[in-house]
Amino acid sequence: MISLPLLRGFFRKEFKQAVRDPRMKFVLFIAPIIQLILFGVAISADVKNIRLWAEPDSKDYVLRHIYEHSIASQWFLPAVDNRNIEPFELLRSGKIDAALISPPGGLNRALGRGTADLQLLIDATNVIQAQSVELYIKDITASVVAQDLKLQPQNPPINFSMRVLFNPYLQTAYFMVPGVMCMLMCIVSVVLTSMSITREKERGTFEMLISAPISATEVILGKTIPYVIISMCDMPLILAAAVFLFGVPLRGSLLILMLASLAFVCSTVAIGTLISTFAKNQQQAMLGGFLFLFPANMFSGLMFPLENMPMVMKWLSYLDPLSHYLALLRNIMLKGNEIHFIAFHIGVLILMAIGFVYISFKRFRTTLQ
Amino acid sequence: MSFVWSRAKAIAQKEIYHVIRDPFALALSIGLPIFLVIVFGFAIEFNVKNIHLAVHDADQTQASRGLIDIFGKSEYFIIDKVTSPEKAQQAIMSNNDRAALIIPGGFEKLLFTGKSSQVQLLLDGSDNSTVVPILSYLESIQKMANKQLANFNPSENIDIKTRFLFNAELNSRWFVIPGLTVAIMAILSVLLTALTVAQEWENGSMELLLSTPVQPLEVIVGKLVPYAFFCLVAVVFVYIISRTVFGIPFRGNIFVFGLGCVLFLVTCLVQGLLISILTRSQSLAYQIANMTGLLPAQLLSGFIFPVESMPKFFQYFTMLLPARWFMVIARESYLKGSTFFDLGIPFLALGTLCWFMIFFAVKKFKKDLEP
Repeated sequence: MISLPLLRGFFRKEFKQAVRDPRMKFVLFIAPIIQLILFGVAISADVKNIRLWAEPDSKDYVLRHIYEHSIASQWFLPAVDNRNIEPFELLRSGKIDAALISPPGGLNRALGRGTADLQLLIDATNVIQAQSVELYIKDITASVVAQDLKLQPQNPPINFSMRVLFNPYLQTAYFMVPGVMCMLMCIVSVVLTSMSITREKERGTFEMLISAPISATEVILGKTIPYVIISMCDMPLILAAAVFLFGVPLRGSLLILMLASLAFVCSTVAIGTLISTFAKNQQQAMLGGFLFLFPANMFSGLMFPLENMPMVMKWLSYLDPLSHYLALLRNIMLKGNEIHFIAFHIGVLILMAIGFVYISFKRFRTTLQ
Repeated sequence: MSFVWSRAKAIAQKEIYHVIRDPFALALSIGLPIFLVIVFGFAIEFNVKNIHLAVHDADQTQASRGLIDIFGKSEYFIIDKVTSPEKAQQAIMSNNDRAALIIPGGFEKLLFTGKSSQVQLLLDGSDNSTVVPILSYLESIQKMANKQLANFNPSENIDIKTRFLFNAELNSRWFVIPGLTVAIMAILSVLLTALTVAQEWENGSMELLLSTPVQPLEVIVGKLVPYAFFCLVAVVFVYIISRTVFGIPFRGNIFVFGLGCVLFLVTCLVQGLLISILTRSQSLAYQIANMTGLLPAQLLSGFIFPVESMPKFFQYFTMLLPARWFMVIARESYLKGSTFFDLGIPFLALGTLCWFMIFFAVKKFKKDLEP
């Protein structure tokens, strides 16, 4: 019941239409690479350039050492000299991010008497940043005190020898690039598919398609396969940028990576098709796309940990193809594919694709009759 | 020719009819922000708990069990026992566990003879959202293990008393929800207007519009005002939810925040119009709106990844994003209670961006009017 020459005709028309506008070619094939580079370089997983304040011109040399070591560590920046303003006020008005305040009389003298209290004020409007700042300062203070007081650091009896597997130097690119890769693939494929079918509906050419002697299956296949192929064309480009520009390793097999990407693109194209069965015009398709894309990006696992969400939210994140694809990308690229894990998540993606295509098919059938 | 209000009003009226006839867009533009804020307000939690930890204990003594107990009772970790170190590594490989604890044989003996003993910890470095919190937990767990198992409690010479200002309990929600509002509105408002002009070109109704005496600025204002109103309604709802459902404090001036909202929404809406004017094609406009709106608003605005940690060049680059500036205004108004003068730079930047967007939109539109 599926006629191949007919499908070929479909494909030819869709390809022509998708890349007829040279600007669209740019958006589809060049823009994702530019975006990958942009986000890959810009976003850093660790906190840097924190503006730190300590009492200026203080004779308190321990405090000054802590401050100088902090600045030298490259995590902190010296705050602009504001000697007449209270540190709290500086924090409130956003001129500094953290402040070190020594006890009355200075740290030197307090240390001479025993344990000294050092106050650390941190702007906690950004929770992640605040936690890192506290850790940094604690580390730096401990090393400064050991140096200044000529203390032999006591070796604790229990030592943790820590090894971070797969990304020993915690390189940001290893974290971010796979995440941005899957977001880009997702946007391109969903947008392309959902707009294409809705445009035909809006223009009225879809009616023509319905009146032609073509089966619903042929319409669905003819309208989805070209977009799977176009979106898959992006994969080698983005992957090359990730591996050659950012040095993200590809420890697993390229074939498995391509298979996983194909499964993922099938599922997102299916979602795009489903959106277009609901939308009456392109604006609705676009808002429907947003309804999917925004939560999908959030639930991907790149922005925040999925580990301890409430159960309902966890189920929502299992429905997100991005969360499976990002887990797959990380496992294949960084860990070097663990076959059971890969098979499971590819299976889930394929099931999703089949499910969404089936629902779209049902909905098309009702339109056709 | 000068700006005539009645003509702008006529365009606005047409746009309102357009929206009312198709209530889907209206429902989404108000319902979506509310829905997303509620879902993610409950979902996002940066303090990771219940991390699966593969444990291999080759020692099987009281001390080693005590150490495992400390991990298990910390509420950060869930213990999964494995039978060999290789299996522990395998568990990380297959994503069953996020970290592994390997206690070598003779752990207790070394501990009692006063020598220093090593236990091995393996962390999964492929997932940034969990590895960084785990690293910070381990420090405090190591301290506790030394104190409880080996009675080792070195006196700290300097005791750091940390005060987390403006969010003393490091509540993730206080941090996320004001930012989430900004990220959602930044992309939604661009999308709402991104198709409006392109639609008129594709439908052919633009030719009609061009034959009337209406001015570019009037078209832009007319197309803007209704959507700005919808977005504002959405923001008000989100504000009420964040205050009542999530109990987030609002310490700033509500009028300053409101002014920031209006300025920000108008800027984003004009950004959408500008895209629409430049592309004249709906599918292209949508792709570009997503490119310039969705990912930048989520990743570059300082929503989760701080702008200050980016390389210098990109810090300057983010200044082109309205969301980056409104992020500062929203967060500081909610949590810090900043005044208008504290927020002078963000307001100035938003105003400038807004002016430039309108200027370009009018200019590009004008060109279109001439054949």
